[in-house]
Amino acid sequence: MVKKKKQVPDWLNSPIWSSSSPTLTSPQYKSRSPSPPRYDDRIATNNPSKSSSVTSSDSSVTFIRPEPSLQTEIVRDNDSSSASVVEDVSRQSQLLQELSKKIINLGELRQLASLGIPDAAGIRSVTWKLLLGYLPVDKRNWSSELSKKRSQYKHFKEDLLMHPSEITRKLEDSASLKNGDQISIGKGLLARSKIPHGEHPLSLGKTSIWNQYFQDSEIITQIDRDVIRTHPDIQFFSGDSAFAKANQDALRNILIIFAKLNPGIRYVQGMNEILAPLFYVFKNDPNEDYAVNAEADTFFCFVELLSDFRDYFCQQLDNSIVGIRSTISRLSQLLKQHDEELWRHLEITTKVNPQFYAFRWITLLLTQEFNFTDILHIWDMLLSNPVGPRETLLRVCCAMLILVRKRLLAGDFTANLKLLQSYPPTNISHLLYVANKLNSHSTR
Amino acid sequence: MVLVLAIGDLHIPHRAPDLPAKFKSMLVPGKIQHIICTGNLCIKEVHDYLKSLCPSLHITRGEYDEDSRYPETKTITIGQFKLGLCHGHQVVPWGDLDSLAMLQRQLDVDILVSGHTHQFKAYKHEAGVVINPGSATGAYSSITYDVNPSFVLMDIDGLRVVVYVYELIDGEVKVDKIDFKKTSTATV
Repeated sequence: MVKKKKQVPDWLNSPIWSSSSPTLTSPQYKSRSPSPPRYDDRIATNNPSKSSSVTSSDSSVTFIRPEPSLQTEIVRDNDSSSASVVEDVSRQSQLLQELSKKIINLGELRQLASLGIPDAAGIRSVTWKLLLGYLPVDKRNWSSELSKKRSQYKHFKEDLLMHPSEITRKLEDSASLKNGDQISIGKGLLARSKIPHGEHPLSLGKTSIWNQYFQDSEIITQIDRDVIRTHPDIQFFSGDSAFAKANQDALRNILIIFAKLNPGIRYVQGMNEILAPLFYVFKNDPNEDYAVNAEADTFFCFVELLSDFRDYFCQQLDNSIVGIRSTISRLSQLLKQHDEELWRHLEITTKVNPQFYAFRWITLLLTQEFNFTDILHIWDMLLSNPVGPRETLLRVCCAMLILVRKRLLAGDFTANLKLLQSYPPTNISHLLYVANKLNSHSTR
Repeated sequence: MVLVLAIGDLHIPHRAPDLPAKFKSMLVPGKIQHIICTGNLCIKEVHDYLKSLCPSLHITRGEYDEDSRYPETKTITIGQFKLGLCHGHQVVPWGDLDSLAMLQRQLDVDILVSGHTHQFKAYKHEAGVVINPGSATGAYSSITYDVNPSFVLMDIDGLRVVVYVYELIDGEVKVDKIDFKKTSTATV
């Protein structure tokens, strides 16, 4: 007996959503090709009139269009493409307006940002910095905050990235003048001097800088390996150009400094993936000053972002209430709440344990599931939603499951697992819209 | 920052059974980038042990080495420094600094590492620096019975070398260091 899909609204199940498999080429949305004809002409008319910088915001607007018989909460009338262009431009200008105020209203900014941030004019870079609390809301304090933080980062670099040789040299140069004497000797036995604090390269002492250096070098090798493997398809990160190398070095420095400052979690594979979009956005800021200091800014924002998620990287916390296991079961609960049939089919009938797919989704903040531009849009929502990134992430994951429910319900263990582990390309704005809808239905 | 271990005159198994335990505990793989060995190991097992510490191993032949394929002298370039290696029994009088200086000029190196006397020495003259790491096992030499086990670790960092001398005196490891710089083109 077919169970009535009570909890899933009909519009969600309409064939419009599930049959479309838009081929998203980064970074444009121009190649969308959803099947129902009514969308084609809208897309066709929309595309030529779009400038690339507003397509992203456009997509989040134009796709909120269910069949006419359904809910009317979708307000915007988009029969004329010009109306939607106006929409996007207006949203961009709203954002710009908000950002240009002397004291920025974070709530207002969150509201605007959660609809999607346009790619233009470094808006995303500034917005993310505000949302992560790196930039204060009072614009007058920006320059002092920034210079303070940047010099702090510079000190970190100097202190933590030095070899032991350099450290000992610095200590000596400040301590004695023996070197000067030696140079002038033409011939003779070289004078032996005492070593400070028993510091020598083969020292096995716990406090020895050499010993720590060798222990850290394992982590540094790991970081090196991961940095090289980050986003191999994107020119920014990989390749032989000096630019890519410089970016990789920046990523490497940030991760090393983070690992040294946080002996509790050090470096765990995957942190590089979370770092990458942040650095990309900040480095590509058209504002010269920001782009040059992207490394320092990214470091602090990375720390901020990771503070929400660091519990997932700590193995001891796996089984605790804040750990990854309990979060995954929370996702499971959320799915059950919103779509019991799917939940039952996935967990009980086909026995697809959510750990198999959700682990990567959650710990890496979905960076491995979608292409790069989509990741940026998802992160817009993750960072701006007032309930916080952890909760929003769960909702997006739940939305991901609901969107492919037709295929999941039809599939068995292997098919479902395969589908979820390589999630098919999908319309991001729709995904985010569905995730947002889950907000309001969460009391059900 | 390149760590180079200078070691030699072990005379295993003829004059000593093994390296002192305290030295062995410090010499772990992964820390050292090069090993230069003056010779007189004498057997293949010691060669394999040193190779396990670091794959980059340079040896010259000492008069008791069982492997006759080691060269008499060797030159290696590490960073900005040219290092010369020779066991030292070929240079007569043994341990004489002027004769070693002659050899150094012949090899045209900044640092000459040689052994045979089983006594640590670090000596500077116009053509460069001579370092004798001594005997790492404390084996008796042709000259004397009273030998402290010792070896040398050089930290080559740009134009500067820090030489760490490890000696086993009365059962304790004592470490000293010697600093010297090379002026950019000429030797020190």
